[in-house]
Amino acid sequence: MSAVTPQPANRRERGPLVVWNHVPPVAWVVLLLIAFFGVTAPGFFTAGNFLNIMLQGSVLLIMSVAATLVILTEGIDLSLGSVLTLAGVTAVLTLQAGLSVPAAVLAGVLTGVACGAATGFLITAGKLPPFIATLGMMGIAAGLALVLTRQGAIYSDVPAFVFLGGGSLGVIPMPTVIAVLVFVFGWIVLYQTDFGRYIISIGGNEMGTRLSGVNTAWWKFLTYVVAGALAALGGVIMAARLRAADPIVGNGWEFDAIAAAILGGTSFEKGNGTLGGTVLGVLLISVLRNGLNVVGVGAMWQPALIGLVIIAAIVFDVMLKQRGVIQ
Amino acid sequence: MEGRLLIEARGITKTFPGVRALDGVDFDLKAGETHILLGENGAGKSTLMKVLAGAYQPDAGTIALDGRTVRMANPRHAQKLGVGIIYQEFNLVPYMNVAQNIFQGRFPHRWGFLDHATMHAESRKLLDSLNMDIDTRAKVVNLGVAQQQMVEVAKALSVQSRILIMDEPTAALTDREIEQLFATIHRLKQQGIGIIYISHRLQEVHQIGDRVTVFRDGRLIGTRAVSQVTLDELIGMMVGRTITHMFPRDYQPRGPEALRVEGVVSGTRLRGASLTVHGGEIVGLAGLVGAGRTELARAIFGADPYQQGQVWVFGQPVKAANPDKMVKLGMGLLPEDRKAHGLAMLLSLSENIVLASLQRLFPRRFVDAGTEREVVARYISDLRIATPSPKRLVQFLSGGTQQKVVLAKWLCTHSRIFIFDEPTRGIDVGAKAEIHGFMNELVKQGAALLMISSDLPEILGMSDRVYVMRQGRVVAEVPRDKATQERIVAYAMGHEVEP
Repeated sequence: MSAVTPQPANRRERGPLVVWNHVPPVAWVVLLLIAFFGVTAPGFFTAGNFLNIMLQGSVLLIMSVAATLVILTEGIDLSLGSVLTLAGVTAVLTLQAGLSVPAAVLAGVLTGVACGAATGFLITAGKLPPFIATLGMMGIAAGLALVLTRQGAIYSDVPAFVFLGGGSLGVIPMPTVIAVLVFVFGWIVLYQTDFGRYIISIGGNEMGTRLSGVNTAWWKFLTYVVAGALAALGGVIMAARLRAADPIVGNGWEFDAIAAAILGGTSFEKGNGTLGGTVLGVLLISVLRNGLNVVGVGAMWQPALIGLVIIAAIVFDVMLKQRGVIQ
Repeated sequence: MEGRLLIEARGITKTFPGVRALDGVDFDLKAGETHILLGENGAGKSTLMKVLAGAYQPDAGTIALDGRTVRMANPRHAQKLGVGIIYQEFNLVPYMNVAQNIFQGRFPHRWGFLDHATMHAESRKLLDSLNMDIDTRAKVVNLGVAQQQMVEVAKALSVQSRILIMDEPTAALTDREIEQLFATIHRLKQQGIGIIYISHRLQEVHQIGDRVTVFRDGRLIGTRAVSQVTLDELIGMMVGRTITHMFPRDYQPRGPEALRVEGVVSGTRLRGASLTVHGGEIVGLAGLVGAGRTELARAIFGADPYQQGQVWVFGQPVKAANPDKMVKLGMGLLPEDRKAHGLAMLLSLSENIVLASLQRLFPRRFVDAGTEREVVARYISDLRIATPSPKRLVQFLSGGTQQKVVLAKWLCTHSRIFIFDEPTRGIDVGAKAEIHGFMNELVKQGAALLMISSDLPEILGMSDRVYVMRQGRVVAEVPRDKATQERIVAYAMGHEVEP
């Protein structure tokens, strides 16, 4: 290994937000994509379409904040998509039972809390690898959703509920308002509280953090609970937007959420990553999806293309790092 | 027994960044003898062993096998030349069987398929010739340590090794297993195989050795015939490391008891340790690598559970210890491996310093950047931490500065009991003296310090009292006025000493 020359290190040394003199490569890719679709797709550069991108990216942002928090602890949560599905189902079932909209939102979010608590417990007390515990939860939550809905969509069009997914505050769609609030919440937790410090330092060195007298098991547990709650909130919004809980609506969402975190520069090692980067990752995926729709590339091609983009972006990132262009 | 020379090394020098691990060392080995290498931790035994096995390339010097000068390009090449080596950590694949492990990397083939029959037959023959009763079809993971070691021996001999290097082979064995190993070694010697045997147990010198060579600080101190040397002479050769700097200690009457440990048993390597540390004193904990000192520190700190024993902190018995609780009781651990256990390398200096004190500093959970800056600035100036910015990531700091960051972390929690595990290992001389100065300051202010160190001058120069550990037990307590290097090494290696 070569000698380490002391120079400004990674993104975090300069503060949590992305700053101009160190734009992560993914930002350029987003700009390139926007330019590309702007030229090739006539309908792309319209206010309506940008609102569309925001709307489509909102739930993904919520999910990606959840994924980022978990990955920062050197964990992984494969159950995020299934939890999204299940939470939508419990929310709609609550409405169908005649309860109020706040009760339905609460029921949905608590579903996520329960799922997150279960995986968190298995990981911390049961010492299961996060991959295994959340893989199990992925199946359990998806299966419960199928059972509760008898394998068909269940509907609700209570106006206050529908507003959460379809309404808007001024011109900003409600899901976007909620997603921004979630981002602010995530940012405050991660960068302004001791909980956030523990998340980052557990990812950076779990044993060292434990030997500093930090109850690492508790904070890891809490991270999965928060991630579950956020995924569930995403599920509630999704159900509100569709006016229905579909038992397979969340399939594949964990893929997009984890992809957005990775594209945003969150590493699976050593708790390296930022929430600002995750926003860029979400933008990348949302712009790509939207642009492909606008130019008429079918939905079936999109996962493969996103997979390609992830690999390309990571290879690009690794190349830049090897040449010392970025740290 | 006077055999011909198998290996003859002359003037071997090997340097690593900052350390001269071997300095012009001569060494030879005859057919049919056991040549024991003795020395303290870091004396250069392991480095020489790796040079002879082709794992390291010497910077200078020559190695001759059977009188012909050779250059061993890598361990595989050394193996071809007849040098086999058995490391302390075995290189066996746990879920493969004995025969497959013996033939690892050179499986016999037939028509392109593995020839299992030949493999087992050859392995059987080999094991029988060594009088080893091991099933060739047994998976290695199901064997005991001694049997695994025998498989290693068989593996090394399966390539017609004439030279066998063994690194502390008895460290993990029971007395009965040691007898078996020694019987095997005798058999190998009769076959004319030469054995280089690294040992940490003095009594083994007379049990198994023909000649013995002592190293200290990378230099050859002397080679003697075992029949013409006493253990006391050997100890005298091993110690005597020169004291390179003055230790800043102001001794004072000791205060009340801060830490009491009685009969702590943890895992397999800590078999019963008792000690006390009072306020205002530094208690040294000496012993060889593997004696269980770090394990004891981890058990006291609650990092590993202990099956037996009791710890008292300031007179209060500790129940269900964990690091969280021990920190709240006022204890801090500065671990031996700063990278793995002491610091989060990708976090900033500032984040590392306050990590253990977030609850105390910010009881309402929100981290206030201003408060953090003030607190950290104070430790940076108090401990003279050299850093361009409190936001500098600790991975870019020097070893000495990193150790100061760990110390700052525990000052920040207002610790009253400090466990220093190898406080100055890998730290340059200037920072070393500074760390020692801080330790002296701490005890002057009434803190209780337990200091694990493999550096005997440090133990003697800094401690009020010294405990010595051997094979998982605290075997001796030596007051400062009676502490000599010879005495401590004798206890550490299990040699009887007059009190």
